[in-house]
Amino acid sequence: MKNKVMKTMPDLSRRDFIKASTALGAATLASSASRMFAAGSDKIRLGLIGCGGRGTYDTTNCLNAAENVELVAMGDLFADRLERCRSRLTEKLGDKVKVTNDTCFTGWDAHKKVLGCDVDLVILTEPPGFRPSHLRAAVEADKHVFMEKPVAVDPVGVRSVIESSKMADRKGLTIVAGTQSRKMAHLIEGMKRIHDGDIGEIISGQCVRLGGGMLTWSEQTKQRQPGWSDMEWQLRRWLFMTWLSGDFIVEMHIHNLDRMNWAMGAHPVQCIGMGGRQARTGPEYGNCYDHIAVEYEYPGGVRIEYMGSQIDKVTYRQDNRVIGTKGKAYTDSGNLIIEGDKPFKYDGPSPSPVIKQHADQIAAIRSGEHLNEGKRIAESTLTCIMGRMSAYTGRALKWDWAMNASKLDISPPKYEFGDLETRPVAIPGKTQLV
Amino acid sequence: MRNKTIQTTPDLSRRDFMKASAALGAMSLGVSTNKIFAAGSGKVRIGLIGCGGRGTHDATKCLNSSQNVELVAMGDTFGDRLESCRKRLKQNLGEKVKVTDDACFSGFDAYKNVLACDVDMVILTTTPHWRPMQLKAAVEAGKHVFMEKPVAVDPVGVRSVIASSELADKKGLTIVAGTQMRRISHLVAGIKSIHDGAIGELVSGQCVRLGGGMLGWGPKQRRPEWSDMEWQIRRWLFITWLSGDFIVEMHVHNLDVMNWAFNAHPVQCIGMGGRQVRTGPEYGNCYDHFAVEYEYPNGVRVEYMGSQIDGVTNRNDQRLVGTKGRAYTDFGRVVIEGPGKAEYAWDRVDPCIKQHADQIAAIREGKRLNEGRRIAESSLTAIMGRMSAYTGRALKWDWAMNASKLDLSPPKYEFGDLEMRPVAIPGKTQLI
Repeated sequence: MKNKVMKTMPDLSRRDFIKASTALGAATLASSASRMFAAGSDKIRLGLIGCGGRGTYDTTNCLNAAENVELVAMGDLFADRLERCRSRLTEKLGDKVKVTNDTCFTGWDAHKKVLGCDVDLVILTEPPGFRPSHLRAAVEADKHVFMEKPVAVDPVGVRSVIESSKMADRKGLTIVAGTQSRKMAHLIEGMKRIHDGDIGEIISGQCVRLGGGMLTWSEQTKQRQPGWSDMEWQLRRWLFMTWLSGDFIVEMHIHNLDRMNWAMGAHPVQCIGMGGRQARTGPEYGNCYDHIAVEYEYPGGVRIEYMGSQIDKVTYRQDNRVIGTKGKAYTDSGNLIIEGDKPFKYDGPSPSPVIKQHADQIAAIRSGEHLNEGKRIAESTLTCIMGRMSAYTGRALKWDWAMNASKLDISPPKYEFGDLETRPVAIPGKTQLV
Repeated sequence: MRNKTIQTTPDLSRRDFMKASAALGAMSLGVSTNKIFAAGSGKVRIGLIGCGGRGTHDATKCLNSSQNVELVAMGDTFGDRLESCRKRLKQNLGEKVKVTDDACFSGFDAYKNVLACDVDMVILTTTPHWRPMQLKAAVEAGKHVFMEKPVAVDPVGVRSVIASSELADKKGLTIVAGTQMRRISHLVAGIKSIHDGAIGELVSGQCVRLGGGMLGWGPKQRRPEWSDMEWQIRRWLFITWLSGDFIVEMHVHNLDVMNWAFNAHPVQCIGMGGRQVRTGPEYGNCYDHFAVEYEYPNGVRVEYMGSQIDGVTNRNDQRLVGTKGRAYTDFGRVVIEGPGKAEYAWDRVDPCIKQHADQIAAIREGKRLNEGRRIAESSLTAIMGRMSAYTGRALKWDWAMNASKLDLSPPKYEFGDLEMRPVAIPGKTQLI
């Protein structure tokens, strides 16, 4: 099963058809793509790239989101992760999992091999550090993409994702990002009211997510195994390695900051942040921080404060608030409450957003609708990344600089199992803004 | 000069007169006090308790603020600090410094000895830890008090300061606190306009002070002859039981401005922080960064971000967001944005002079002037932020003010062993 050479499909697959159509240009291609799934229930063949917990979860939801969706190929760096995921998926989903030993791939090229299979859509759930290169390869291979948040760990990666998203548009491919908040009914209704002016002009806001040290995360990798190279150790502990996860503000709290961008209908123009690690200080927690606070400034001089931590036994909080000239809106993962001139409390249904995000995408693929969340999730990712960059360095920085000029690329010199020093924990005032 | 016994003044001093009047009760005492300085220029005799940099600064400003003010007694834990302060004051102020060797006191009891001298007013500029007990002693001794901010490092101290302030009112004594921002012209005018509704109803605010690692401050190398206690007191800025940590020690200025603008103190807070740069033992157990969300009445959230770190982007400003505009303040100006657009600039009058001039005028005119409760509340604002950051726990004002038992004092005041308390770890350090 390790590093299997892909089996070439002899028939003219839909993928091949799309490839053949590229010469016709973006507009025609888009309509070609539409026609392909015009029946509305054509089989969608899915490839999973990244077989960890989130990969297993997303695949389950995707296969349950719509009829006639099958998982046909899987790839992961590690065979043990892939096998565990495969057996769990087969258990849960039975016939929908059509993966054979020949369509299971491991190692650094696993994603390329999955992309070389006859799949229409891939789920990208490797650690975030790999997202830009995997997205690029997927779009180049004409695949629709569902990708988990965040989609990059540095500005260089963000720019790559935006490029790839533009390419996807040209090719008529859909991209959906795993920011399921965007599909939550109470938030959709609340944001609509905010955007309709129910709280007046937005003049301030807070984004708070505190607690949850993740100390029990991947318990089996806490103790470094003797056979593991530096690279393997870092990959196994990816959540706590900035080059892989982006740190928790990027990896996890992007959900919360994405909601602020959504409410504001914009991304920040500048930020200044602080942070450190005060509780998770052991080497098993790599080089990530455990608390970060950032003041984001949005257009019109509107300041939004973010406070985030991953520390056990503190007071837990998770909520966003936006203040307008005529009221305020409070949101968390279950509630939306508007106070002021036009009070409102959402009490409608709450269909599962993690099912809906896949259902929407599969419907769009079949109906040929444009659906591309690439740029939006890239911007939310950069929102978090710039906060982390500011906290790590202690320097204020501007969006335009981060988006266009920052050269920060935290990828390792080479992708192979061998020596790789864990980068030191950032020290504000010493760590350079790059 | 060390631990001198005080010289008794043979004549019936003003202090003795006040003492004698104590039986007459608060109201009449106030009137008595008024009468003493009725001429408007009666001599005011100052005692300085705490002869560090700030003590030198405040004594200088105080003596320069009004006519006929003299420094007559000095006290400090350390003889060397006292001597260097005395020398500098003498240089700066010449004749106004009337301190004799007999009126210089050192050691842990120095403040008691200064209070026993014939002084009308004392300047309290020892490290913040000592403020509550020294204020209490000063008020009990019938002295007017100028005290530097912050005025406590824990809720137990805050409660003591409030009790002493109430006692000062009863005795007709003035108390002024060294939050000179309250007397900077542009803030006075700007905040008045906010109170008058220039930006509508306040709905949000930010208080940001970033930068300045204080790495060059104080003696960095511990001398072999210094006990733990002496080392900690010499490095007091970085020892929480002495300074309260920088959010309390320094940034109380900034948080006090927010309390002023809101005309209230917070009702609750949640904070975070740590030390990421100043991690050496010479930086004691203080943090180098804090962020706190304060909630004021009516659910208004104000965010504070503070750090003492070198090489970062420096910021020091407050902003208030109202339904009809915004106000931005820093050391030099207040800018009101919105329909009530205005800008207030500093009139160049030194607020550090003004605070003393105001107090001396109040003493002479017998006017009530007592900033004790207000500065106690601003100190608690900062203390509760630190407590939340150290523990990771949200907490309420009422609990901190009335129920918290946190008392950071050492078991005893003597030069000897004293273990450095560990740096706080959120989620582990207990909320007391």
